[in-house]
Amino acid sequence: MSTDRRDFVSINGIHRRDFLVRGSGLVSAAFLAACNSRGPKAADKLLKYAERKNLVVERKLFRHTAMDVVEAGAHEAGNKLPSYFIAPTVPVWDESVGGKWALEVSGLVGNPVRLTLEDLQKLPQVSNRVNHYCVEGWTAVETWTGVPFTELARLVRVDPKARYVDFQSFDDNYHESWDIESAMHKQTVVAYGLDGRPLEPAHGAPARVYSPVKLGYKNTKYLTKIVFMPKMNGGYWSDQGYEWYGGT
Amino acid sequence: MRVTHWVNVVAIVIMVGSGLRIFNAYPAFARKGEMFCCYPFEHKPIPAWLTFGGWLGGARHWHFAMMWVLVVNGLIYLTFIYLHGEWRDLVPRKGDIRDSWQMVKFYAFKRKDHPRQGKHNALQKTAYFLLPVFGALAVVTGIAIWKPVQLSWLTAMFGGYVWARYWHFIAMLAIVILSVIHVFMVFAVDPYSLTSMITGNYDPSLSPEARNARPFYHLFPKRAPATPAAPPPEAT
Repeated sequence: MSTDRRDFVSINGIHRRDFLVRGSGLVSAAFLAACNSRGPKAADKLLKYAERKNLVVERKLFRHTAMDVVEAGAHEAGNKLPSYFIAPTVPVWDESVGGKWALEVSGLVGNPVRLTLEDLQKLPQVSNRVNHYCVEGWTAVETWTGVPFTELARLVRVDPKARYVDFQSFDDNYHESWDIESAMHKQTVVAYGLDGRPLEPAHGAPARVYSPVKLGYKNTKYLTKIVFMPKMNGGYWSDQGYEWYGGT
Repeated sequence: MRVTHWVNVVAIVIMVGSGLRIFNAYPAFARKGEMFCCYPFEHKPIPAWLTFGGWLGGARHWHFAMMWVLVVNGLIYLTFIYLHGEWRDLVPRKGDIRDSWQMVKFYAFKRKDHPRQGKHNALQKTAYFLLPVFGALAVVTGIAIWKPVQLSWLTAMFGGYVWARYWHFIAMLAIVILSVIHVFMVFAVDPYSLTSMITGNYDPSLSPEARNARPFYHLFPKRAPATPAAPPPEAT
């Protein structure tokens, strides 16, 4: 047996240079194919699996005592808060079509109600100066005024079997369903005021759900119905592939 | 150990690509209604070919799935180098700054001979020590912007969401820079180390120290073998 120089430049008979050339070729091809792509179709199942597991982790992590805190010195976004809706134009409630606007709170409850804006304003009121967390990565500080969700829940006497809440709107059937614990968080409000003024159509008038514990897209604007449910009910963006949980 | 290296390659490439795709949904750091001091490219998107995931929702799914692979892989790696004592080759110690300077001088042709080294040279030690540090920073800042309300104390530690997101970006940048230098040096100085990255075997006679190798200099070992091959045993 002679020690040939080739002994340590070959691995299992593949010459190193061949390996380098072929290997780097394969790797670059894989990278180029992957660039800006959605990744292999086969991974979809794994990604779905990861989302289900993340949901369990995120719900376990959830604490009612954890509060959103606005950093000292942060400025209100004011008119820099992006307005956003699904319909081609700003959705405005049309009384001539739908009659006087009212919010229906129903589902697994002992006492379903229909509340006009005046009814909502008579209920206990809070103003929360909190962060808005958008799925896109931006944040905005705003003060939201409205009814704490827990007050509405108390009013309608929620059945213990209700585990989820669906927030529905008149903006092209936009809706998003939540886990009930996020809805019952202290900073979740049914808001009719923004920065000390009545909520404008651009931001979800007459009323919208607002909570810093959920990403922006979970906070349904232009509310028509709040339905307590035993099961989750997807949502406009959740059904299109964004995370259903969308919690912060 | 070598497995964690290659798992890391896949995980980091996917985390960086999907992270940049997420970033492109809002390629800026400023809170709405404010300015941000410390990023010169506010609102300039990252070129699409550097991104992965195809769209914001898809990139988020990749990011939130691969983060577990990255974290578990990192923990396996740290446990392994702790149990095997290999952390001793990486943790900086007195003299490393001086030795790093000598390496810089050598690469800059200000010094003729390759400085003496152990398993890694001083610059490598620094890089391989910093990489897990930035990795940990990326993970912790990532958690801070994933759960800015539930873990608001953590987010506050980094100066709030906007800054935590910025440090997350900086940690990514540091990892990318270290990785690019690493890959460059592998090919330009020590392609022979690829064998050790894959099979675990390393021939010290081919080391950059033995070859006195700088980037693209002395890539090939000297023709004459340093020690004559042992004569084959005579068959009797």
